[in-house]
Amino acid sequence: MYRIRFHGRGGQGIKTASRILGSALFAEGYEVQDAPRYGAERRGAPIFAYVRADRAPVYERGIIDHPDLVVVTDESLVQVPAAAVMTGLCDRSVLVIASAAEPELWQQRLGVTCRVLTLPPGPGEGAALMGAASVGAAAKLIGQISAANLEGAIRAELEGLPSDVIERNVGRALESFDSFESHAGCVSEGEALTRASATPPAWVELEVEPTSISAPAIRGEATSEQVQTGLWRTMRPVIDDSLCNHCSWICSTLCPDAAIDVGSDREPIIDYEHCKGCLLCVAVCPSHAIVVEPERAVDEHRSDP
Amino acid sequence: MSNDTRFHDIKDLPSTHLLGSGTPMCAGCGGLQAVSQIYDVLGPNTIFVNAAGCMTLLSVYPFTPFRGSWLYTSMGSAPAGAQGVRDALDILRDRGKIEASEDMQVVVLTGDGSAYGMGLSATSGAIDRGLDFIYLCYDNEGYGNTGQQTSAATPHAARTSTSTGAAGYPGFKKDLFSIWVANGASYVATVIGTEPLDLARKIEKAAKLDGPRMILSLAPCPTGWDYDPKDSAEIGRLAVKTGVWPLKEFADGEVTHNKKPRKRVPVVEYLERQGRFAHLFEPERQDRVLADIQSKVDRYWDAVGS
Ligand SMILES: Cc1ncc(C[n+]2csc(CCOP(=O)(O)OP(=O)(O)O)c2C)c(N)n1
Ligand code: SF4
Ligand code: SF4
Ligand code: SF4
Ligand SMILES: [Mg+2]
Repeated sequence: MYRIRFHGRGGQGIKTASRILGSALFAEGYEVQDAPRYGAERRGAPIFAYVRADRAPVYERGIIDHPDLVVVTDESLVQVPAAAVMTGLCDRSVLVIASAAEPELWQQRLGVTCRVLTLPPGPGEGAALMGAASVGAAAKLIGQISAANLEGAIRAELEGLPSDVIERNVGRALESFDSFESHAGCVSEGEALTRASATPPAWVELEVEPTSISAPAIRGEATSEQVQTGLWRTMRPVIDDSLCNHCSWICSTLCPDAAIDVGSDREPIIDYEHCKGCLLCVAVCPSHAIVVEPERAVDEHRSDP
Repeated sequence: MSNDTRFHDIKDLPSTHLLGSGTPMCAGCGGLQAVSQIYDVLGPNTIFVNAAGCMTLLSVYPFTPFRGSWLYTSMGSAPAGAQGVRDALDILRDRGKIEASEDMQVVVLTGDGSAYGMGLSATSGAIDRGLDFIYLCYDNEGYGNTGQQTSAATPHAARTSTSTGAAGYPGFKKDLFSIWVANGASYVATVIGTEPLDLARKIEKAAKLDGPRMILSLAPCPTGWDYDPKDSAEIGRLAVKTGVWPLKEFADGEVTHNKKPRKRVPVVEYLERQGRFAHLFEPERQDRVLADIQSKVDRYWDAVGS
């Protein structure tokens, strides 16, 4: 059985990628299962989707713990523990990361020995086509899908969208498909799981409790602050103190997420644990005092998060 | 209005924020922007009664961004929920269980799907009974939480997930402001998060009044309107500058326009920045539809007399 996991962010077409890969495998005669998993169902939030394919009926259920292939369409997810990108990777797994960096660098950074391949974004390419690029890569690496069936699956899935959008996606997927020719079929099928080899889930015993406990009231204030929406960010707004004139707190008032406070000296302070990176503050600052840095660059330049 | 307000200048706006961060609203959500500013003015003594929609995801156990109580209702029944909460507070006061100073502002928080459609009957009933509450609608012009289906607030020609044809939504946005005025509300105002001073003054005023009061906020929605989150503020500002979203209020039997755009920007500048109107520009420019939309806006402002 093939077990494939796609990891990305809401808006990158991860769910669609897994559906396309599933349909293409089905067209090749496989029994297929595909399913997306969302946390916060929002653009930018980490999501993943998985595909199982086998010549025999697929009875396995649930999240894939032992992937043969993992495709990551946003490299910033690798360091997000909640995204669980690395879960269950073993020596025979293949890991594909959308990144301009060298595969060897990733192997070193992650300390893994499995095969790592990178999927460099096309020139000037935004997030929109990453789903197509990753499904093209996955199809070639599995090695069981013809270009024609891949294309057919994309057209069927995107039917109804404007034709230029469909053509761009088909083009990007096929280009990516061809670019992995030298690794064609490097993904191998994993063993069938036996009952004994399956790790039982960490069940929590729940007793039948009175309503006051099972439907509890929240007594704490603003407990949402325990949720780190800063993990959604791919780009980071950074205030340039030399340009900020401590204006009338425009950025702080207009930030939808109340993620900019004003300090005692009337200086704006961005709360990076919660800033979602919408960059609205960058657009409204009259002094152009807020600059944008990719999260990656931030990680490389600074030791503190 | 400027004499009896504590908001004379943008410097008077709150610099710390009551609403907690870490909510699951989309990055760049114009609705959250308005709700956050409104909460700052209303203060912590506020109970929200939330009709199902995007904002019900604000409070998912055990997380809440609020400092006080919040009640979840079905789409159609938030005003009925508000009635129950108001009645309970009144009974507590009558029995001396809470002081007048501990009383709370009861605020319905609702999307346009409820406000312009499913919830109208319950809303009208609440106004008929003179319910003492604020009704806050963040209008993202569609059923946002379920994937932006058409609502009665969807503007003419917009594409939604249920108006997918070449012409977009064939209907016209309902005039909820006038419905509330005609129904006998004590105060009705339109606001938008990108005009924080105007917004703060109106919320301050609404909070001082009694009876059924509505705040209707346009809520630019990057997800449903299909644009980059960073453009939320620009789109909000253009909604006002083009005259598409008139900032106005109804009080003491009169409608006043608070910001008459002196020289209105052509509506195409608002429309062309949003994917939901892209079919009006590509592959061919729909000049007739664009002219219709413009002339509807012009007619509105001609009637206002600007
Ligand atoms: C009676 C009823 N029908 C359908 C739903 C499913 N539903 C939940 S939220 C929602 C969309 C609400 O739209 P709107 O009021 O505009 O709020 P938004 O999601 O845009 O914030 C729908 C249809 C529901 N909760 N109740
Ligand atoms: S809007 Fe710009 S100038 Fe004003 S406080 Fe924010 S960063 Fe400083
Ligand atoms: S990018 Fe700016 S406006 Fe957006 S959440 Fe972060 S601080 Fe707020
Ligand atoms: S769909 Fe629109 S209104 Fe709903 S949370 Fe996202 S941006 Fe806000
Ligand atoms: Mg809505």
